[in-house]
Amino acid sequence: MAVAFVLCGCTQRKEAKPKAEYRAIDTIPMLIMQVQKCSRLYTAEYNIHKIVTYDDIVRLKGSVLKRDFNVKLPLGDRKIAIPMDATLKAYIDFEGFSERNIERRGNKITVILPDPKVALTSSKVDHKNTKEYVSFTRSHFTDAEMASFEQQGRASIIASIPRLGIIETARDNAARVLIPMIKQMGYAESDITIAFRKDFTERDISVLLDNSTVER
Amino acid sequence: MKKLLNNISKARIVAVAVIAVAVLAAFFWVGHTAHNSTVSIGSDKKIDITPEQIRSIKAIGQWEFLSVTDEELVDTVRRGIFSDDHLVRIYYGTLRFGVDLGQAKPGWIVASGDSVTVTLPPISLLDHDFIDEARTKSFFESGRWSAADREALYRRAYSQMLSHGFTEANIKSAENNADAQFRNMLRAMGFENIVVRFAKQ
Repeated sequence: MAVAFVLCGCTQRKEAKPKAEYRAIDTIPMLIMQVQKCSRLYTAEYNIHKIVTYDDIVRLKGSVLKRDFNVKLPLGDRKIAIPMDATLKAYIDFEGFSERNIERRGNKITVILPDPKVALTSSKVDHKNTKEYVSFTRSHFTDAEMASFEQQGRASIIASIPRLGIIETARDNAARVLIPMIKQMGYAESDITIAFRKDFTERDISVLLDNSTVER
Repeated sequence: MKKLLNNISKARIVAVAVIAVAVLAAFFWVGHTAHNSTVSIGSDKKIDITPEQIRSIKAIGQWEFLSVTDEELVDTVRRGIFSDDHLVRIYYGTLRFGVDLGQAKPGWIVASGDSVTVTLPPISLLDHDFIDEARTKSFFESGRWSAADREALYRRAYSQMLSHGFTEANIKSAENNADAQFRNMLRAMGFENIVVRFAKQ
């Protein structure tokens, strides 16, 4: 396993909106990179869509004559809806694959696979279709606020993984990929068994999530 | 007559005293009520996330041999007359190199006794969408930026990650690892003489 860090800085100038009156330029492109060798067989891919909505309503609250009141103030609303898509992939990690994963009895072969894992391989925010409504008395949503909402949407997608059934799909598809491979090695299809370490419950799935998926 | 006048002035004094007491009582009551009253302006903030909608499920057979995890600090500056506007974001992404077994040609594994020859499809980028944009961190913002500006920053981060990660050296490294991993797996399955090669692009 080789891990290399490359750090470099360079300067580039580029216009973001050539037709506008202003000029947008890059000043600090920067790169931090990590290279890692691995052996992962991806067998299932799920594309997930989600909309994150956020309401911010200004209210006049208080109590007079021992009576509480909570009144929505006019022209004080801020709302945003952010559509986003994410790709989840389930894989079998072959990094520790060895003779211990193979059982042969005569013409029969059993391949015992390691635990399937799930990674969130990409996510994309639909900027074009993001809808924002801000009253004139309120300030617009900041970039930090929007990034925070998107991160919460991402966390929600990761939390939903146990309900999606991707692990079961990954196990089924692993057999569909590996059996034709082993057949070409000279085994009859009826003699090939693809087995997994054990059956998984929802509780187990939390430990099967890829670290890169749950990283913040 | 004098007695009558005396009675009237006594009645006035009593009335004035009653009014004074009532005014004082009202004053203290209003003061007490105002002390116990609260008025404030606050905001109700509510985030709501719709249930996950599965757009598609695909059975794939992609074997990854090298991953390049990258983070890019990308910024844009808008020059103004009195001040400049800045937007700085940190993007995260992972370029995955490997082979797509769906592209393997028929007969890509040929076995005979304890010998096997494997012809893998060429190493390629397994995901063309490799940025995890929802993980993006906002580092600094001044001025107002549109969705088009953010999309332009994303595109710039994408091309930077691609130019830094999608290199001949990384492709070669993925090939070497694929060779080693397949040899290891085939040896575990009992083959002694193993040849691993890659199909041409």
